[in-house]
Amino acid sequence: MIKLQEVTKTFHKQQVLHDITFQIKGGSIYGLLGSNGAGKTTLLKIIVGILKQEQGSVQIEGQQVFENIDVKKQMIFIPDSLYFFPHYTIEQMAKFYQNIYPSWNQERFVELREVFGLNIKKKVSQFSKGMRRQVAFWLALSAMPAILVLDEPFDGLDPVVRRKVKNLLIQDVADRKMTVIISSHNLREVEDICDYVGILHEGSILLEKDLDELKADIHKVQIAFRNHVPAALKNELSILHEEKRGSVRLWIVRGAETEVSKKIESYQPIVYDLLPLTLEEIFVYEMGGAGYNVENILV
Amino acid sequence: MFDLDLRSRKPIYEQLVDKFKELIMKEVLQADEKLPSVRTLARQMTINPNTIQKAYRELESQGYIYSLKGKGSFVQASSEKVSQEELLKVQEKLKAAISEALYLGMKRVDIELLLDEIVEMTGGGIRDDKASGSNEDFS
Repeated sequence: MIKLQEVTKTFHKQQVLHDITFQIKGGSIYGLLGSNGAGKTTLLKIIVGILKQEQGSVQIEGQQVFENIDVKKQMIFIPDSLYFFPHYTIEQMAKFYQNIYPSWNQERFVELREVFGLNIKKKVSQFSKGMRRQVAFWLALSAMPAILVLDEPFDGLDPVVRRKVKNLLIQDVADRKMTVIISSHNLREVEDICDYVGILHEGSILLEKDLDELKADIHKVQIAFRNHVPAALKNELSILHEEKRGSVRLWIVRGAETEVSKKIESYQPIVYDLLPLTLEEIFVYEMGGAGYNVENILV
Repeated sequence: MFDLDLRSRKPIYEQLVDKFKELIMKEVLQADEKLPSVRTLARQMTINPNTIQKAYRELESQGYIYSLKGKGSFVQASSEKVSQEELLKVQEKLKAAISEALYLGMKRVDIELLLDEIVEMTGGGIRDDKASGSNEDFS
């Protein structure tokens, strides 16, 4: 269990994070989403204890993280820009990790060699960007961390490797309840593996929910009536967004599917269609509601 | 085992529930057959194990499967699993189809004839395991 309470962080007098409070359950794959500059990386660096928050607390299994070796040795952070020692080969990097992490599993390292198929005698700096990222995953997974924190992890990986990496992550989540935190602005990338998502906007958590519940609570409705759209219906529903397409209206409605359907059907629409939203659409509409001007970006 | 559409709008957990229901209703998965473990399925399909866990819980609460502690999940025998909810859904679908047929000019007689035909074909919905014969390969 990772627990953040009222965490704030300021850089150069500018407050980057405001009162962040949330929890991440053990064995969960948590997607941290947000616009550019929302504070995702800062938040991740605070969770793993690279940065220190000004106020509030970050606790993992009830212990403070910052400068706490006991907690940090069970945790691996793969940052957005990777760092390897210059002139080190994969084998030498592995030795280094082995010294740092007591949970290092040499057997796993050897097993994963088959999966990634990279030459361990070669210097990491000689590999391409995507291959270096694979090396980072290889080392991280061999260290068997209890918590794996990933900042934009799939950038630069080709689809085959991406699938391989996701599969490896899922194996560790299923087999030994590893907790994974993934930050991303590529929503499609996280939609299929996360079970919980949090949306960070301008340094605050805008929304935080089980992904399936989130999807079950918001719908896209296409609707048409013989005459006018009944005003009473619009009052009954919580409509986040409305668009006119000829005589058909497109609504984004919040609420449980059965209730929304019941209300709408009582007004006997001639066309009625209810669709779930993709995570990308949820993100756009929620952010739109929070004053993030989405239309300007989409033009 | 089967494929899910990870790009679909439908939540993965709902797709899983529907897929398993279909397999159970078509008796591809038979009564008391063990479902794959959460770990195996997660691995095979690259799906979050928590999502699979949730789908299994949902199937259990709808009466399609039962679980034994430490042994896994198993398919519930058929007579107990037809839930009221499922019946209501089918009724809704029928209503919609019949209204459409009437709108397009089908007569009541035609529909009744069709109904007779269907009853004839399926043996009136009475389940007869010996006569079906479709599961011989597995026994």
